[in-house]
This record gives sequence, structure tokens and C-alpha cells, in this order.
Amino acid sequence: MALTLTCPICGKRNGYEFRFGGEDKGPRPPEEGLTPGAWCDYVHMNNCTAGVQKEWWFHRDGCGSWFTTWRDTTRNLEAEPPEANK
Amino acid sequence: MNRLNQLPTLRIDPAVNHSLTYRGRTYQGVAGDTVATALFANGVRIFGRSLKYHRPRGLYSLDGECSNTCMEVDGIPNVRAENTLLENGMTVKEQNVKGSAERDWLGFMDKLDWMMPAGFYYKIMHKPAAIWPMAMKQIRKAAGLGIISADHKMKGRYDEQFLKAEVTVIGGGAAGMAAALAAAQSGRRVILLESRPHLGGCFDYRVSTTSDGTPLHERARQLAEKVKQTTNIRLFEHTSMVGAYNNNLITAFQVGKADDGFTECYIEIRSDSVVVATGCIERPLLFDNNERPGVMQVGCAHRLARTYGLLPGNAAVFSVGHNPGLEAAVDLFDLGLKINCVADIREDGQDPALLLALTERKIPVLKGWVATKAHGSKMVQKATLCTIDGMVKRQFSCDLLVASAGLTPVSGPFILAQAIMGYDDHTGYFLPDQLPEKMFPAGRITGINDPDAIETSGRLAGLEAASAAGADLWTKVAETRNALAAMPGPERGCKLVIAPVKGRKSFICFDEDATVKSVKQAIDQGFDVPELVKRFAGVGLGPGQGGIPGHNLPLFVAKYTASKETPKPTTVRPPLVPAFIATYAGYNHHMFKRTPIHHSQKADGGIFRNIGVWQRARYFTADVDCKEEILNVRNNVGMLDASTLGKFRIHGPDALKALQRVYVSDMGKAGKDRIKYSAMCNDDGCVIDDGVVVKRGENDYYFTTSTGRAGQTAEWIRYHTRYDNWDFHLVNLTDAMGVINLSGPNARKVLTKVVDIDLSNEAFPFSGYREFYIQDTIFTRALRLGFVGELSYELHVPSSYMQAVWDLLTEAGKAFGIRNFGVEAQNVLRMEKGHIILGQESEQRTNLLDVGLGFLWDRSKTVARTVGAVALRQAANDTGRLTLVGIRMEDDARPARDGSLIVDNKVRGYVATMRRSFTSGEAVGMALVESQLAGAGTRLEIFEDECNGVRIYARVVPMPFYDPEGERMKS
Ligand SMILES: [Zn+2]
Repeated sequence: MALTLTCPICGKRNGYEFRFGGEDKGPRPPEEGLTPGAWCDYVHMNNCTAGVQKEWWFHRDGCGSWFTTWRDTTRNLEAEPPEANK
Repeated sequence: MNRLNQLPTLRIDPAVNHSLTYRGRTYQGVAGDTVATALFANGVRIFGRSLKYHRPRGLYSLDGECSNTCMEVDGIPNVRAENTLLENGMTVKEQNVKGSAERDWLGFMDKLDWMMPAGFYYKIMHKPAAIWPMAMKQIRKAAGLGIISADHKMKGRYDEQFLKAEVTVIGGGAAGMAAALAAAQSGRRVILLESRPHLGGCFDYRVSTTSDGTPLHERARQLAEKVKQTTNIRLFEHTSMVGAYNNNLITAFQVGKADDGFTECYIEIRSDSVVVATGCIERPLLFDNNERPGVMQVGCAHRLARTYGLLPGNAAVFSVGHNPGLEAAVDLFDLGLKINCVADIREDGQDPALLLALTERKIPVLKGWVATKAHGSKMVQKATLCTIDGMVKRQFSCDLLVASAGLTPVSGPFILAQAIMGYDDHTGYFLPDQLPEKMFPAGRITGINDPDAIETSGRLAGLEAASAAGADLWTKVAETRNALAAMPGPERGCKLVIAPVKGRKSFICFDEDATVKSVKQAIDQGFDVPELVKRFAGVGLGPGQGGIPGHNLPLFVAKYTASKETPKPTTVRPPLVPAFIATYAGYNHHMFKRTPIHHSQKADGGIFRNIGVWQRARYFTADVDCKEEILNVRNNVGMLDASTLGKFRIHGPDALKALQRVYVSDMGKAGKDRIKYSAMCNDDGCVIDDGVVVKRGENDYYFTTSTGRAGQTAEWIRYHTRYDNWDFHLVNLTDAMGVINLSGPNARKVLTKVVDIDLSNEAFPFSGYREFYIQDTIFTRALRLGFVGELSYELHVPSSYMQAVWDLLTEAGKAFGIRNFGVEAQNVLRMEKGHIILGQESEQRTNLLDVGLGFLWDRSKTVARTVGAVALRQAANDTGRLTLVGIRMEDDARPARDGSLIVDNKVRGYVATMRRSFTSGEAVGMALVESQLAGAGTRLEIFEDECNGVRIYARVVPMPFYDPEGERMKS
């Protein structure tokens, strides 16, 4: 795997050490008033951005923490966040 | 065969003999030989037979770019004999022959090529369908390369290395060595990969000179010496680069030397920048019988003599299109080869010095001529030469036809690095239109052939690569670039695609017996781009990975279709060269965790099975039904090693919130002296784990998970709380704590002997939690559970004390009939009790309600946003789900196998676990069935694997099957 990721605790490490945790979709929505459709969207639907997106990664073979980073999905490389998100 | 023993270019040691066995005879080779050159030295010319037509095949490139010399070596099929160094005692066999490579009974297949036009597999073999299996069997007998024996055990040790450097240089020729030296001067760490067993590249075997008069082979050795003395260059010889990925990640395979301690090693290199100095291979010349043994490329003939001391033939004809071909003719003549004629495809543009040298040696040179046919049924006996317009022909007798259309760059690294490739009209090479980031080409791959320019381009690339990796060498870069510009640039390449022949026996791909004719057929049928021809006609799909046809195919397609677009090469993919799967697999596959009392259980007769990451004792006798183990737990007392359970501490101000998030129950009810049983679901409401939680103090909890979930639990809890910034700590105690499950009516009597607290049912009741010291020393957490349905204590102690506790209980239990029980006995005991094991009574789609654990779910704690709660709310109204029920066979003597299907005319469910109970004599178990079938008394039809249509029957019965009131476990 060519990917490297930058763990906020351990620094830049081999991509093999991490587990992918999906796109960043924000916190779990409150249960009160939540429609099944909205819930299903939150759990299962993704933007599948072709380009730079914010996502969660778990440093499984390292410090054991979840963190977010930006990745260019077209090149599978960690990337700078787009201007608007800086 | 006599070797040319005195050449300064030799890479063999004629004084050290190695023997090999081939066709029942022992042959002698020498140290430094490859398997192929050793056989060649002993007169072997036909190394095997081709895939479809069983044509004889021999040495061609000497670098293993085709299957010609794939052989079975020491039981391993498809070994590239040209790339494999000879080791003493090797046994070698030829492939795809009926009889021998010399006399192959299937040689007549060559005459049947008209029956096998391009794509005949796809078009003919599918109708009628019934003959396909038979035809396939016959084809498999007649066609193919090596045969893998299903029970072949791969010998050797397969290692792996993960390296970091600033600069990686691919290719250890003059350019690559110069690049490595230049990059290393800046202090950067450099890795140099060379696919042959020694450095040198195209300088290694040549006697022509650099501008200062140094012979190239000498220059190569000077550079190699410098490389080896440079401490920040890490050199890997006999190491083929197989993959290039973004981020400049390079992968390679290293063949181990005798003292390396590994057979092959997988190497993965992360570096900032990469120099590609992979040089050129030769572009095969297309003419009739262009792969007959005795036809070989220039480098092959030249290196046989110079590197291995073997004259490639007696009388030769050359048909070449580049100056290295003329140079080889001159040099081989001087080494004793008779040369009857040299045909050069080019009308003009030859190096005048080489032409003069040929004239001085009275070697006839035909300019604008090319070979059109090699004659001879098994070996070349004669060659027809022809003007390139096809007008005039002449024949020359020869046993060696050195043929090459020109050079072609080894551009695989660029294609793998996803460079867009273009066609360079001047050189006729496929080169990247734009170079990948921080990747620099050097040497012959750029089209240059002048020795000084090759070295200088290497130096330039090395300086650029070091600068791209942070060194400030830009002034030097500019100087070197200017120096290179003053030297001879890329040479105009020969453009001839095919000699003037029809091409029925002109092979464009040797691996798959694809001829020019079959390529034409494919194009005529509409497969008019190289990527389609490649697949339809089978060109470049074999072990050579397109090394032979890679350049010619796109050129030929462009020419035959009269395409105005520039030709595009076909894509190559990793691994660039054939690699052992064993090397990819690496070693140490038999790693597992052992519990602290593994050896005691083994001594007691335990038979172990791998369960997830652990080894666990499954049985303690040869009786796989475990009757004695089971009855002993029911009647006396048994001891189970349950150390594999996941064990965790969670503590901190927000620990309870985290538990509420992942457990379906209201974990606020977890009390100090009581255990709370609960389950975790995923977001779909499917049940993934169950376990118990105890509250040991304020904001301090201890909980268990199933064995299989222990590894993921920390990740799971942190994932589902990742947005909350809660303050808690999670400690995985799985390996720190061992667990002994002491179960049976005598369990209290045994435990009483080693502890001094009150163990009466009133003082320590069912579902209770206590902490105490065993023998005043070993801190113990005790949980009164009833998984197996008897009075039982689960004792959690520090791992390092496990053996001591085990020994104490064994001793204390002697009087009460204590004995081990394993996971199979536990499985039956808990099944009788109707207690589920997740993964056995559930699968991925099974939710909490399906398995009857809905009572655990607290619907009122919506604030906790419990994982799975929303989905469960929906599933509660869903009628189309499976339900867990108890079942009993109509015939108690015939329990259904676990996993059997419950059917009527379609699948309606399956049997999860079923055994014949020793307690009741009934064949009972649990099954997941559609809810319509869940009513008590429903008759179920069961389909077992290999039942031959004979169904067996069961009925839905109430659970549990043992001690329904739970009096025994609560007593
Ligand atoms: Zn980390």
C-alpha cells in the first residue's frame, strides 16, 4: 500500500497500520424524531468524493486512536484540505 | 563444451564445478552459471516445447523474457532457467513435452495451426456444451507449461523487508551506478536494485571503450567497486523490481545467495525520489521461424560468450538493426565464431568504425537486408536473407542466427507509476509524455547509446533525485545537464516492424504461440486496438509479461490498420516479472496465542484447535462426543480454561456514557456486587457481542467480551464515541488476565478449599461478583455465572498466576472428581441450557430480537443514542425475520449436523447447533427458522449435505432442554 497517514499522536506512518473508518459524516443524529430513511442515509450513504475528502482513520497498530484526515481518493494519497476547509 | 576461460568479462568461476541432473543424466556446470547456461554448455539446445504447437524452443534473450526456457527445477514448475543460478545437485525437467524436448510426440501440433485461428477457444469450444468438459481435458493434456503438483510443498524461507531511503535507483548498469554514486555524495540514503546477479548492465560484457579508452567491462567494474565502497548505498543484486506505486513506493523480489538465510525476499521501499535506469531489451525481429532454437538475440549471443565463456554456435548469420548488433558480430568473430553474413536492416546510419572492423575481418555486410526465414526442423540449419522490400533473396547456412530489430526501453516502471506513455518518433521508443513526480530516467532508456553519455545521464538523474529529496544540488544539476547536452544524444532507432513475410510462422509472442497471422485474424475480426488484440489473440499474457511482444504488437497493429494515431503500448501490471507466491505469502503463518496454562492442558491430553487468534483445547479424550467430560460437569466438577475471553477496564468520568452507547441495556443498573449481562449490536441492530459488566468503583467498570471480539472492542467503543470528546480510559486486559471456569455441583466444595471467604449461596449468590485472595496471595475476581447450567465460578486472575491457581484447584478437586473439560463439552453443556454463542446461533444478519435477547434492550434510553437502537425499533415490527427455536429430532439416534438447512421447497432456516444430549438421551438443538415455522410442535424438514435426497425431520420444542427452572446453576 503506497498510502501513508499522519496520526496526530504518532506522526506519518505506513498505511498498513491503519483501519479506514469512513467519510466524516458528523455526530450521530439524536434518536427523537429520527425517520428510518434519515437514519439509513446517515449509516449507509456516502458522498464517494472523487477528489479530496475528510475521513476517519484508526491507528490500529499504533496508539489506538481515531482521527480525521484528508485524502485524495483519486490518487489514494493523504492531501491538504481544500481551501474552503482550511 | 570448452569454455573461453580467460576472458576478463567472465562471471563464472570455471574452477568450481556444480552438477545438475537432467533427463536422468548428470551434467557439470560451474559456479556462476545459470541453469540455462549450464545446460547449454552440455549441448542442450532445445529446452522445452511451446504452449499450443509444441514447437521446440531454446535460448533467446538470456534474461527470461519469455517462456522458452521455463523449466521444472527441483519440483517447482515454470522456473525461468535463464534467471536461476545453478546450485549443486539441482534436478531439472523440460515442460510441455510428451516424450522429450528433443523428440516430442505432440510435435505434429505445429502442423495443425490452421485449426486454431485467433479466438478459437471462445468461438468453437462452447458448442455443443456437452463436449466442452471433454475437450477441455484433452486440451489441458496437450497444452500448457509446467504442471503444479497439488501436494508440492514449497521449500525454503521467504522473507520480507520494508525499507526507507531518500533515493531508489532501479537498474545497476553504468547509468544506475552513476546515479546512485551522485545521489549518495549528498549524504542521502540510496538503494540500488539490479535484477541480474551482478552489477554492470550493458557495460558488463562489452570490450568497446569509453572516450578515455577504458573498456566498458572495466569501467563497469570500477563503478561497481565504488558503489560497494559507498556506505550510504544499499545494494540489492539479483533483485527484480516488480511494482511501482504512487508516493514512489517500489516493490521488488530479491533472490537469496547461499549465505543470505532466505530463498527469496519481498522488498518494499519508500523513498522520496526514484531513478529509472532499467535500460533496454531487444525488440524481436519478426520473420518465419523466428523462435527456432539457434535463433537468438544479440545480447544473448554476446553474453553467452563474454559472461559465460560459451560460444553460441559455430557458424552464424546476423540480422540486426542497431550498432550493438554489429559490435557483437565483430567481438564474437574475434572470439572464434565464424560469421557467414551480417544483414543490417538499415540502409545507412551505421557506425563507420564498426563497418570498417567488419570489412577488415572480411565479414560480408548486407545493408537494407533482413532475415525472412530460419530453416531446419528442430535447429537452425540455414537462413534466408532478403532485401527489406522483398525483391532479392539469398540463403546462408548457419547454426546460429542472431536476430534483433533494435532496442526497446524497459519502461515498465513508468507504466506502473501511471505515466501517460507516448511514442517517440526519433528513437521509436515508447516513453512517458510526462514523468511521474520525482521519477527520473537515466541511461539507455532515454535513447542514448554513447557510453560517456550513459554515465553522465546517470549522474544527472542521481543529482536531480537527491535534490528532489531535499539536497541542494541544483548548480551541479545545471552543469551536468550542459555536459550531457554536449554529448551524443538519442540515436535514431530502426523502425522495421516485420520482415517481408506473410507471418504464418512468425511469432510475435512466444509464450502463447501467437503469430503475426493470428494477430491479423484478430484485427480482421474487429479487435483493432492493441489492448483487445492482446486478449483475443493471446499476446503478452504469459509468464514473460509482454517482454517479447510488448513493443512489436502496438507497432504492428498501427501498421496493419494504417492507423494515423500514434501507437500506444499495452498496460503492464505488477509483478513485472514472474514471482513466487511463496514470497508474497512470506513466513510465520502458524502464529497464534497460547493461554498461560496451555502446557498443563496439553499434558492432560488436550487436543487443540485454532479458534481465531487462539489455540484452545477442544477435547481431552479421543471421544469427540466428550461424554465423560460432559457428565463430569453435570455430576461432579469440571475446569475450563476460558482465558481467551476479552477482558477490559473502562474508567473515567464518562465511562458509563460510553457503556450506554455500545450496550443495549441500561448500564446504569450495573451494581457493585452483581454482574450485568448485556449485548452489543451494530448500527443495523445485528448482535455482535455479549458479555458481562461489573461496577468495581465510582466510574470504574470491568467487562468481558466474547473471544472473537476482544481484538476489536477498543476500536469499536472509541469509534462510536469519536465525536463526543468523552473523558474515559479503556484498558485491554485480555492478555493480562487469565480465566478459569469452575463448574459443577462440587464447584463450591473445591473453591472453599483455597479461599477463606463465605461461599454459601446466601453470601455469594448466582449473578454475584466478589473479589478475594486465593491462599491469601492471588487477587481474584470471581463471577457466579451459569453458562453451562451448573453451579459455577468464573475466576479471573493475573495471567502469571494462572498456573498456580490451576494447580491449586486440581489438587483441591481431587477428592471431588475434578477434571478438565474443553470447548466442545462446553458447547454441548450450554446448548442443553439454551444459552447461545454468537456466531453459532447467529450470523451477520441476525439481530438481537431474532435470538431472543430482546429483553436486554432498554428502549427508554434514547439519550444515549445506543448503537443499533434505531434499527431495532424498526426491526421490532418486521415479520419476515428468522427466529431462534429449540428443536428435537423425531429420531433421537440421528442428530442433524450443525449448519444443515431447514427446507420445504425452499430454504426456510438452518440448524445452528445440535447434539444428542447425554443427560436426556434426546437429539436436541437450536435452529434459526422463519417465524411462521417457530410455533411449538411445527414439523421441520432438514436437508443435510450429501443426503442423497433423504430428508430427516425434527419438531420445534420448548427450551431449555436441561434444568428449565435454573435450580442447579442458582443453587
Ligand atoms: Zn497513532
